[in-house]
Amino acid sequence: MSANIHDIHDQHHHTPSGLMRWITTTNHKDIGSLYLWFSLLMFFIGGFMALIIRAELFEPGLQLVIPGFFNQMTTMHALIMIFGAVMPAFVGLANWQIPIMIGAPDMALPRLNNWSFWILPFAFTMLLSTLFFDSGGPAAGWTLYPPLSLQGGNSMPFVILSIHLLGISSILGAINVIATILNMRAPGMTLMKMPIFIWTWLITAFLLIAAMPVLAGAITMLLTDRFFGTSFFTASGGGDPVMFQHIFWFFGHPEVYILILPAFGIVSTIIPAFSRKKLFGYDSMVYATASIALLSFIVWAHHMFTVGMPLAGEIFFMLTTMLIAVPTGVKVFNWVATMWKGSMTFETPMLFALAFIILFTIGGFSGLMLAMTPADFQYHDTYFVVAHFHYVLVPGAVFAIIAAVYYWLPKWTGKMYSESLGKLHFWLTTIFVNVTFFPMHFVGLAGMPRRIPDYPVQFADFNAIASVGAFGFGLSQILFVYILYNTLKKDVTADDKVWDGAEGLEWTLSSPPPYHSFEKAPRVE
Amino acid sequence: MTNLKKTYLSISIIVIFMFSFSYMLVPLYDIFCEITGLNGKTNQEKIVGINEVNTDRFVTVKFTSTVAGSEPFNFNPMENEMIVEVGKIYTTSYILTNNTNSLKQITASPSVVPGRDAEYFKKIECFCFTQQQINGKETKELPLQFVIDEDLPLNTKTLILSYTMFNTTDQLGAK
Repeated sequence: MSANIHDIHDQHHHTPSGLMRWITTTNHKDIGSLYLWFSLLMFFIGGFMALIIRAELFEPGLQLVIPGFFNQMTTMHALIMIFGAVMPAFVGLANWQIPIMIGAPDMALPRLNNWSFWILPFAFTMLLSTLFFDSGGPAAGWTLYPPLSLQGGNSMPFVILSIHLLGISSILGAINVIATILNMRAPGMTLMKMPIFIWTWLITAFLLIAAMPVLAGAITMLLTDRFFGTSFFTASGGGDPVMFQHIFWFFGHPEVYILILPAFGIVSTIIPAFSRKKLFGYDSMVYATASIALLSFIVWAHHMFTVGMPLAGEIFFMLTTMLIAVPTGVKVFNWVATMWKGSMTFETPMLFALAFIILFTIGGFSGLMLAMTPADFQYHDTYFVVAHFHYVLVPGAVFAIIAAVYYWLPKWTGKMYSESLGKLHFWLTTIFVNVTFFPMHFVGLAGMPRRIPDYPVQFADFNAIASVGAFGFGLSQILFVYILYNTLKKDVTADDKVWDGAEGLEWTLSSPPPYHSFEKAPRVE
Repeated sequence: MTNLKKTYLSISIIVIFMFSFSYMLVPLYDIFCEITGLNGKTNQEKIVGINEVNTDRFVTVKFTSTVAGSEPFNFNPMENEMIVEVGKIYTTSYILTNNTNSLKQITASPSVVPGRDAEYFKKIECFCFTQQQINGKETKELPLQFVIDEDLPLNTKTLILSYTMFNTTDQLGAK
């Protein structure tokens, strides 16, 4: 099969060279690479903002930045990391992997694909430009709660327009993913034979389709409240600011699963490859992912237990939230069972995937603690929440993305990364991620609030440790860039089937794969 | 290709539906609040045809006030606390002073604590039903007439009525 594909090659293809190649490209691999490079850039910009935050919090008192700018940093850090780093990275992986994993030549809607990427640089230029306004960037938190966000400076309409663009980009990306997966699978690949990564992305795409328009609605209401005299959230006109929180989190909770479900798919792909066993409980993995996605739409108010809900509401949202632990538990146990009695080896992707399982589970447990309404009244808006969502997003989503890059990089480029540097990167990252975020649990339980530039002295030691960890984590990522550079300048060294335990159609292609992945659809038995 | 178009079309319909759904959540939220008494929302229109009844049951009603933002007004209840018989009509008022020299317009939004009892706090006359105008340096008495419904749950001994006052003078200019 792979010999066949070598022969076909891309003789009939005329691509413009240089910059125009990247601007006009409709090729899924080019667009995937663009997404991944873009998200890496955003990861560093967002990370730089995080380091400003951690530098200010290194010791009590105000040293480096004024509180207003500190608030802009927390707001922008979140927006950049969520919409700029994690989501585009997953879309990039989807673009690269979906066609080569389901045996398709390209994505279903290539021109739309080009457009959904090229919206992003414009959106983020606009978002980042607000930092240079006299009134500064957005400072009301990424959740944009009114009335505070309505009282912000001139940045507000720019932020809303850029979020609209990001939403459009995600929706177009999701449409493309669904259309590709539903229509372009190789003959013989039924839905229940799809690789698990494809399944998780299909479900994620449906979440995007259902959740992003709700965010668009919510921020449009903010915009009309501020400029066109409506009062959806303005109390003086009979509106209700709490309603924004309901609408926002109706989007926001599915959004956090958008950020983690593809990560589940990646880990479910890597663990079997390096355990040299089939994924344990494939069917239950699919159903667990689908139930997490469905449950995500009925748990939103657990982000706002303290707004004053009726008791019945608090109990409902507490129980549904805890219910999510069941399918998530199914997944964790399936991963462990996959490794059970496997012939495991510990290459860099496997190390990141293993760290994912352990550290994501810690984040899951702190999530369970937060799900308990009475306990949440203590934890709400403290650093415990910060610790929780960073545990699920950094050693969760980000580790999965890094694992995926190490796992598929030899396939994409045909070049093998340096295993010893990869392992060094893993250990530095994993140690520093814990040094950064673990102490946040302690200060949070002791009552340190989120989003403050200064704090009482009793929190000083743990904050200093967290800041040291954050700088260590940030610097370790420069090693990652070096590893990528070091790999790309090599000559072709990787086999077509890079990992002996890996399964799937992508390994039947050459490394790097031909420009049009599968000219002739492979047959799946 | 027709399959692809079908997928494309149905997804677009979901997107449009979900966008509209976010707006549908607004009236749904209001209905939900009304049913549950969430946010202590009380009636925003006159209750007419109330008959007084003797219940010999007394509860305390406390009055509080807030001025939203740092607007140049004094806004306080005439009485901080009243002991009222359930089922009887009572009248009290709030005092509003405009500390500026120009005509202002205000609106006040009520809220009752505990929220679940908000529906039993019935207002017959309230300054909160309409926008109020006040001249510069003027002090005005804003009347309030209410009755506590006889169906008020027996374990409720105290109700707090709170008004938040908003300056809506910019809407005055618009009209």
